[in-house]
Amino acid sequence: MPDENQKLSSSGPNAGTHRVVGQPVHRYGGVDRVTGAQRYLSDITFANAAHVAFATIPVGCAAIDAIDTSPAWAMPGVIAVVHADDLPQPVARFGVSHKDRPVIATKMVNYHGEPVVAVVAETEDEAHAAANAAVIHYTELPGVYGLDAALAGDAHLVQDPSVRPRDDLNSTNVLEQVEYAWGDVDSDGISSPTIIEDTYTFPMVTHFPIEPGGIVAAPTDDGGIEIYSPVQHPYLLQRTIADVWSIPLSRVRVIAPDPGGGFGGKQTPRYEPLIAFLALKTGRTCRLVLSLEEAFQLMRRSGCRIHARTGFSESGELAFHEMQVDFVVGAYADVAPRVMTKGSYVGAGPYRIPRVSINARAVLTNTVPSCAFRGFGAPQVGWATESQLDAGARALGLDSLEIRRRNLVEHDEAFIRGDYEARSDGRWHESLEKAAELIGWHEPTPSGRGRGIAVGIKPGATTGLSQSLVRLLYDGSAMAYAGTSDMGQGARTLWKQILADELGVDLDLITIISGDTNSVPFDLQTSASRSTVFMGNAVLAACEDIRDRVLKLYAEATGTAQSELAHSPGQLVTPSGAIALVEAAQTALGGLRGEFVGQGTCRLWGEKGHPLGGDAAFYEFNATAIEVEVDHATGEILLTKHVTVGDVGTEINPLQVVSQDEGAAIMGLGHSLMEQMLFDDNGQIVNLGAIDYRIPTFNDVALDMQTASIENNDGPGPYGCKGISEGALLCTAGAVGAAVADAVGTPVRELPITAERVWRTIRDANRDSPV
Amino acid sequence: MATYCRPRTVSEVLAALANAEGRGRILVGGTDLLVHLRKDPFAPTVVVDIKSVNDLPPAVEIDDDVVRFGPTARMAEISGDPFIAGHLPALGASARVVGSIAIRNRATLVGNICNASPAADTVPALFVYGSTVTLTGPGGERTLPLVEFFVGPGQTRCGPDEIVIRIDVPIPDRGHRSAFQRLTRRRGVDLATVSVAAGVDADARIVLGLGCVGPTPLVTDASPPVDLTDPAAIEGAVEELVSIATPISDVRAARDYREAMVRVLAVRAVQSATAASGGVSS
Repeated sequence: MPDENQKLSSSGPNAGTHRVVGQPVHRYGGVDRVTGAQRYLSDITFANAAHVAFATIPVGCAAIDAIDTSPAWAMPGVIAVVHADDLPQPVARFGVSHKDRPVIATKMVNYHGEPVVAVVAETEDEAHAAANAAVIHYTELPGVYGLDAALAGDAHLVQDPSVRPRDDLNSTNVLEQVEYAWGDVDSDGISSPTIIEDTYTFPMVTHFPIEPGGIVAAPTDDGGIEIYSPVQHPYLLQRTIADVWSIPLSRVRVIAPDPGGGFGGKQTPRYEPLIAFLALKTGRTCRLVLSLEEAFQLMRRSGCRIHARTGFSESGELAFHEMQVDFVVGAYADVAPRVMTKGSYVGAGPYRIPRVSINARAVLTNTVPSCAFRGFGAPQVGWATESQLDAGARALGLDSLEIRRRNLVEHDEAFIRGDYEARSDGRWHESLEKAAELIGWHEPTPSGRGRGIAVGIKPGATTGLSQSLVRLLYDGSAMAYAGTSDMGQGARTLWKQILADELGVDLDLITIISGDTNSVPFDLQTSASRSTVFMGNAVLAACEDIRDRVLKLYAEATGTAQSELAHSPGQLVTPSGAIALVEAAQTALGGLRGEFVGQGTCRLWGEKGHPLGGDAAFYEFNATAIEVEVDHATGEILLTKHVTVGDVGTEINPLQVVSQDEGAAIMGLGHSLMEQMLFDDNGQIVNLGAIDYRIPTFNDVALDMQTASIENNDGPGPYGCKGISEGALLCTAGAVGAAVADAVGTPVRELPITAERVWRTIRDANRDSPV
Repeated sequence: MATYCRPRTVSEVLAALANAEGRGRILVGGTDLLVHLRKDPFAPTVVVDIKSVNDLPPAVEIDDDVVRFGPTARMAEISGDPFIAGHLPALGASARVVGSIAIRNRATLVGNICNASPAADTVPALFVYGSTVTLTGPGGERTLPLVEFFVGPGQTRCGPDEIVIRIDVPIPDRGHRSAFQRLTRRRGVDLATVSVAAGVDADARIVLGLGCVGPTPLVTDASPPVDLTDPAAIEGAVEELVSIATPISDVRAARDYREAMVRVLAVRAVQSATAASGGVSS
């Protein structure tokens, strides 16, 4: 095994020497994002580009009988009209874990919005007009749009068994299933004084990035292709294009302009293989720019239904927790099986539970394929577990805080037991207590209001590889090549901060290069809040490599013994004292000038047999406390306070930590209070677009919102940091649900907790117990 | 594809509409029209932009007993006008919740009625003041009560060769009070789930304008005089009045929720109108 560590370990010793790390440096590119100056994919012009539009059908499940392309060909400006029969046969299928998604709809339409015909034309309008003219003859099939329909004995199969031939489950709509259990999992015989049993649902929601996205593909002179796509994983896209069209990696160049928001929705390739085919077929640069509506049909979070049965001791300790968890994953696998396994792995929460049984399934339906989304399955399952804890607390006369105090694991205590146990990597009670303090838990709840507190946990990356190159140039400026996609989270700013400290270079003299597979070394992906830890360590290592090289060349140039030299962040220590690294570098390089190039790698190896492929590099832990006022006549909820506290290790940039936490907290209000994709009986999305799919606005944010962090410098990333970008969304629903239940006396178990649902809950409770 | 023209006079507008043979659509703010055009980009619409027409009535004209709104009266002007806030408070309040600031800077009152959405925010308020609408076309001008203007969702009595030239809102007598209430799915920009404007005259007779509970915005008859100090009396009067509501279930709400909410909002609108402060709320 190489000398890289099996587990990532903290670089803590450097803590305390920072000048720029730890400062609230403003995000590079932030002003451009808010003024509109940033050049997103759709702002980039390409000479002589042709434009692509798709034809779709207004149902979620159909057999394609025939396609008449002649009306499309007859339209002005048309260059190509392509459907499945025009592709190399059999039509290629691709995917991360399951190669099930065809390049274009093949014989079947499996969800509303799946492209059936692609038109290439001289202008965008001409492409859309021609796509509109194509005639698709189809026979609607009895598609399955919800869990009950999909799991029925005679259900229509979303995927023909031939697509998954070696799969025991291929005669069902269950794509994958997993079971986690420890302790005596048969709880029937356990006498627990308080047992809570209920069913919870979590809606299908879409990522709603402000930039919907798009793709440009350009054939190159050497038979290769360049793909422009604002993706989170340029190297995955490169590999997919190479695999699907049998092109060597060296001739597939992916250029990824900074995405305008990703949230997990821009990880995996979808239409890129098709646009690449169109470019190769026509010899033209082909450009597709998606609408918001098309983005809805490209990305969503899996919905979820959880049946839970939980036992508590008299004093409120968890005795057992059983869950059947069904994820509504959609028509193709994407990374949904991983969402299911990872989300349900931590489904029992960060608690001390002697007996746990979790059975989870990823269920195919004729809906938009679900994919990664901030929280990665944890918010769905956590909604049920947190609600169960609160139901137990109400039954036992405890409050939200007290029941968590009694069950939350201590530092280094196992919360997942069995063969592959997982232990707390933080002091999570500190986050819980801080959240309670910030919301004023010890003070009486104002009249007419309700309060709730919840916790959430999400495993970070379990394997990973990030590589970086850093160049220290003669004039004291520097460049870092780091493949992390900066989609608004501020990755570039962090690399600049690390370079500034480690090389002693001014922030403004640093340039970050990313998003181009031809020039930037390999990075596995921008996901799972990994980048600060993984790429951060790689950048840090590259800076140390540069300091080593400066030391060696300085020794050679000045005739000093290497043993008499040492380096530290920003400095070379010589027998006559410390000098700035940049000055030492200039002396070392001499009259010919030149530069130093450092390389850094961060690799986390997995663990064979582990259900997640390895233990997480770190856990994101968050405590959220919410106070609401409920209008009992209308069911409307007013958030009066919203507090989140994350266990972050170390804040490399406190301003960016706050930004990420606030963003996540507000996003969490979406699925908690208002967001849901709704389908009609034919599988069409009925609230397709911004008018009837509502996301929170700043008017929907709590009157008082605060985020805070616990810093124990105990993470595996640079200076003891952990990843932080998802935490504040993990348990928003649980906290809102508990607060609403506290205010109205009865819980709502379906998300989103709309005014109408609250009104219905109050009305039904009044019916059941007339005053 | 849509074509575009920008006439300079009302008669040129009417000529453009006549030439469009039923495909003409008037553009002022465009906040509804552009959304419709985007939904059906290949419809052969003729967009007639009247922002440069020089003989339109003024945007807002306040007379002794009536406020007249021309086709260019924007929501931002209406919601910010102190005279309207004082004399037509339900109208001011309803204009204040249309869309967002950016939308209110473009959207017009006349456009709001011509779009003929059952959820049009300003219509319930316009109803309770007894507003009239004046159209002009090849046959000259005609004026009808606004109540008669709406036919169904998206449908009005404005002919394909006509334009709405004015909305007249009578200024109520002293002692008349009014307020507007609206329920939405979120606190930011949103379409109404249910909306209610209440007008209460000096004799304590209540008239309600109702949004989103029928194929068009609705207006009730006037109730008999109500004891406004008695909540039960208000509830009883409201119960009678809102019986004209025929809400449906849709993506925004179920029918039974709308039925319940129109009652809640109506009572609140009456109470808000008659509160000591003469309050305006939304």
